[in-house]
Amino acid sequence: MTFFLLILPPLLAALLASLIRPYRAFVGWIGAWLSLISLAAAFVFVTQVINGQTPTWGLGSLNIADVFRADSLSALLMICVTSVGSLALFLSPGLGRQVKNPHWGELAYGPVQLRRYHVFINLFITAMLAAVSANNVGIMWITIEATTVFSAFIIPLKLNKASIEASWKYIIICSVGIALAFVGTVLGYFDFFLLSGRAENALNWPVLLATAPVLHPEVMRLAFVFLLVGYGTKAGIAPMHTWKPDAYGESPAPLTALMSSSLFAVAMYALLSWKIVADATLGNGYTNNLFMALGLLSLVVAAFSVVLATDYKRMFAYSSIEHTGLMCLGFALGPMGTFAALLHLVNHTAAKSLMFFLVDNIEHKYRSPLILKTRGLLKTMPWTGALFAFGLMTLIGLPPGGIFITEFALFRAGFALNHPWLMGVSLALLAVVFVSFINHLNKMLYGTPAVEEINPERPTEHFSWRLALLFINVAVLITLGLTMPSPLATLLQQSVGIITRR
Amino acid sequence: MDNLFSQLSTLGSSLILLFGIALLWRKSLRAYTVAFQWQSVALTVMFVLIGYFSQDVELYIVAAFLFVLKVLILPRYLERMEKRFGDHRELRPYVNTVTSLIFSGLLVLLAYVVTRPLVLVSELPTRGGLPLAMGLIFVGLFVVITRKKALTQIVGFLVMENGIALLAVLGTYGIPLIVELGVFLDVLMGFLVMQVFVYHIHDTFESIDVDQMNELKH
Repeated sequence: MTFFLLILPPLLAALLASLIRPYRAFVGWIGAWLSLISLAAAFVFVTQVINGQTPTWGLGSLNIADVFRADSLSALLMICVTSVGSLALFLSPGLGRQVKNPHWGELAYGPVQLRRYHVFINLFITAMLAAVSANNVGIMWITIEATTVFSAFIIPLKLNKASIEASWKYIIICSVGIALAFVGTVLGYFDFFLLSGRAENALNWPVLLATAPVLHPEVMRLAFVFLLVGYGTKAGIAPMHTWKPDAYGESPAPLTALMSSSLFAVAMYALLSWKIVADATLGNGYTNNLFMALGLLSLVVAAFSVVLATDYKRMFAYSSIEHTGLMCLGFALGPMGTFAALLHLVNHTAAKSLMFFLVDNIEHKYRSPLILKTRGLLKTMPWTGALFAFGLMTLIGLPPGGIFITEFALFRAGFALNHPWLMGVSLALLAVVFVSFINHLNKMLYGTPAVEEINPERPTEHFSWRLALLFINVAVLITLGLTMPSPLATLLQQSVGIITRR
Repeated sequence: MDNLFSQLSTLGSSLILLFGIALLWRKSLRAYTVAFQWQSVALTVMFVLIGYFSQDVELYIVAAFLFVLKVLILPRYLERMEKRFGDHRELRPYVNTVTSLIFSGLLVLLAYVVTRPLVLVSELPTRGGLPLAMGLIFVGLFVVITRKKALTQIVGFLVMENGIALLAVLGTYGIPLIVELGVFLDVLMGFLVMQVFVYHIHDTFESIDVDQMNELKH
């Protein structure tokens, strides 16, 4: 039943938002508070899986057993989705601020846009939660495809040439990509069908995994390439990353935060689920080599794009591609690397969502996403500026942020497994990212802002609960940088056990 | 019996692939809609045929859904868009017609190479059509990549979906019903979103050429 507490609250919120027109602020508030139920349900799952249980739910009477299933890996993902989801809903537009502040000027959203936003962001969260709870890889595919559809509706919340271009690219590239993932799913089922004949539960992940060792390697190789290209498109692994900077640059901030942290993690989860099956058929080498190649390519693309970035939102999109690449490398580097990559996923979720909420504040103030026009951040917005500096330094791997630890662990795993060249090149690329990020940060933090470029209606920044919420992310990042809470360690160890089958 | 079944399924798959390749040498949106509609009809027949020979009732249900969605609903929407925007022609695609046709030949060859393990492993009488289904997926992908009109890209995407459905039914006699229905729902929703965006693109850029959209760089 906990599955319903997880998945239904955002669905209810979406229903409420679609029924009440015009949009009223209480709709957004109810959605935000409802999301805390999902968060609590996710924590219930975490405690259950840590105690060694594997919660499932199904309709035994209709002969559809185990529709939903939660293991350590999916519980970890549930936390990543629900926590950022709650944060995004509390920081969403339309929770009173716009309505009460008549000076909001050109950035205000109208009631029609707000209604659409609240319907689809909640549906988006529902689809992601269903994707990580689904036991059937076909259902997982359907829900991940649904996330594309739902998010495409709200990327162009303000219709203009740039946002329409971004969302068209997003929907075409991701729909085609995810269609290829379906080809891979069909090919996986193809092999199963040949061996065991028709079975309704054949696409259930545990059934698939149990059959995996006797599947045909040559078919599985082909299937995995399709799955990697397909879900890799959604995760933004190079060279299928091209939609990412556009979509991140044009979406409303809470959606960007969700896409860069949760949606990415969900796509990665789908990819990992199949990697486990493919590894059981093929042995580790095949998928690991593919992951390493694409991971390295992502790092190369990201490093040089960050150097050339002129727009800070797109800069963070490239940073996402960089971290995607790092995690791909980690998942290819045995149990140690997998542990580091999973912890990196958690850290990245906290850091990236923090950054995109801050970027939203900055954009409202300076009314431009260009690094060139954003000067003197520390003077005009002391709180946001300081948090921004902290988050950015965490992202590039400086202590005390948790990413320092995970990158260190990842490289140690790589050197231990005798990949000195791969690790050396990756370190050099990280250094490129490091230097150019510091360079961009310097430009933004200091200097004198041009008076006419700053939004005059909000002269100074006051500390508010919206900023206070972001300190949750900061606390998570620092905690993970300094210690390792034992429940999380258990959860990660169990997940590593699932992924590497040890 | 099996021999007849095998020949019919290969023949049907070839026909479905040909309707896909028609997108490459026809230029008007009207022709695309017609090609897609006939392809979907052929696909429906294919589902019924395989359902008949494998004695699987589920495939009839899927065929009914397929007919309603891809033969009745989607072509109607495409026609409506075509009326709204006028009969646009794909005048200067990124790759011209002759080269496109040569490419499509190569793509089908590639499909034969790629699906070789599948054909070797499979013992179903329908296995001869598998490379053709994969070829159709590649051709659909090629249309999405090389054509400039937003509407042509949508038709390319739909053709690709047809290719996947064909692959699934030839290789596995249809994936589980619940998944199949979910996929239909996704195709419909995805199509509706894309359609909304074509209207947005038309209103904002005063054309449905996607190569005009080049604002976002770095």
